[in-house]
Amino acid sequence: MRYPMILCGMFALCLMSFASPSAAGIFGKSIEQRAAAVHEQTEGLHNYHAYLARELASIAEDENAQHDRADCEFMKLAEEAAARAGGK
Amino acid sequence: MNRNLLTIIACSTLLGACAWHGGINVDRSELDEAREHVAAARAAGAETCAPKEMAKAQASLLYAGHELTEGIHPDENAMLIDSAIKHADQAVAICKKKPETIALTGVQFETNSDELTAASVAILDGAVATLKKRAHIRVEVSAHTDSRGQAAYNQALSDKRAASVRAYLIGHGIAANRLSAKGYGESRPIADNGTAAGRAKNRRVELTVLR
Repeated sequence: MRYPMILCGMFALCLMSFASPSAAGIFGKSIEQRAAAVHEQTEGLHNYHAYLARELASIAEDENAQHDRADCEFMKLAEEAAARAGGK
Repeated sequence: MNRNLLTIIACSTLLGACAWHGGINVDRSELDEAREHVAAARAAGAETCAPKEMAKAQASLLYAGHELTEGIHPDENAMLIDSAIKHADQAVAICKKKPETIALTGVQFETNSDELTAASVAILDGAVATLKKRAHIRVEVSAHTDSRGQAAYNQALSDKRAASVRAYLIGHGIAANRLSAKGYGESRPIADNGTAAGRAKNRRVELTVLR
């Protein structure tokens, strides 16, 4: 009885490992929402960090379909650049 | 039974590990050339004088650092490396070009004040028309003084005068995000401060076109 339950648990773990955490939504904001926030935060700014934030957010969105965490890595960098850009 | 369980745990762990096969590593040897070009652009001050190109170069470098680590798309990797180099070189080229300056000849202020004279208004209206016509450009309003008086006072006065001109332009329909203002005090003379004519030339306001 215990064996099938463990099997199911392991299978669920596998699925969660492959799932793009950003796409799920249940774990927090999606990559799209975070990218929109970066664009809003840097809107009208033309300094280096603002441009970099927008570039990195776009890369994160492009990477969003991949089953790895690159989208989150790039989005984290984008948000850091946006914070340094000033603005809203 | 235990053996089967162990097999499942091992497979699950392996699959979980495979799920994150990326990371961003820009220290790879394949990126040596791109890294050098980006560093050269940064050293040339490109974050300030060519921020857009510099950001594209840095973003391409980071992206290449990820794609190479992933090791799946050789064509895409080469394209990203080329992109980093191309944008870094463009940034350097932009920084080497002298910025375009629109002189606002005749714009004057009341003595020791940031209040525009009546005669200056017509000149600024001309600048408003130019900025409306060239709607894609962003400019820095730069104000300069001659060298009479204390440098700190001149700096503060030029800061206020630049802000005053910027406020006028915004008040006449130019978007605030297209305009920045900076006072340079007496630090950038274009004529001899030892003569009245030279000092008059040095007291000036310009619009510097930003990239």
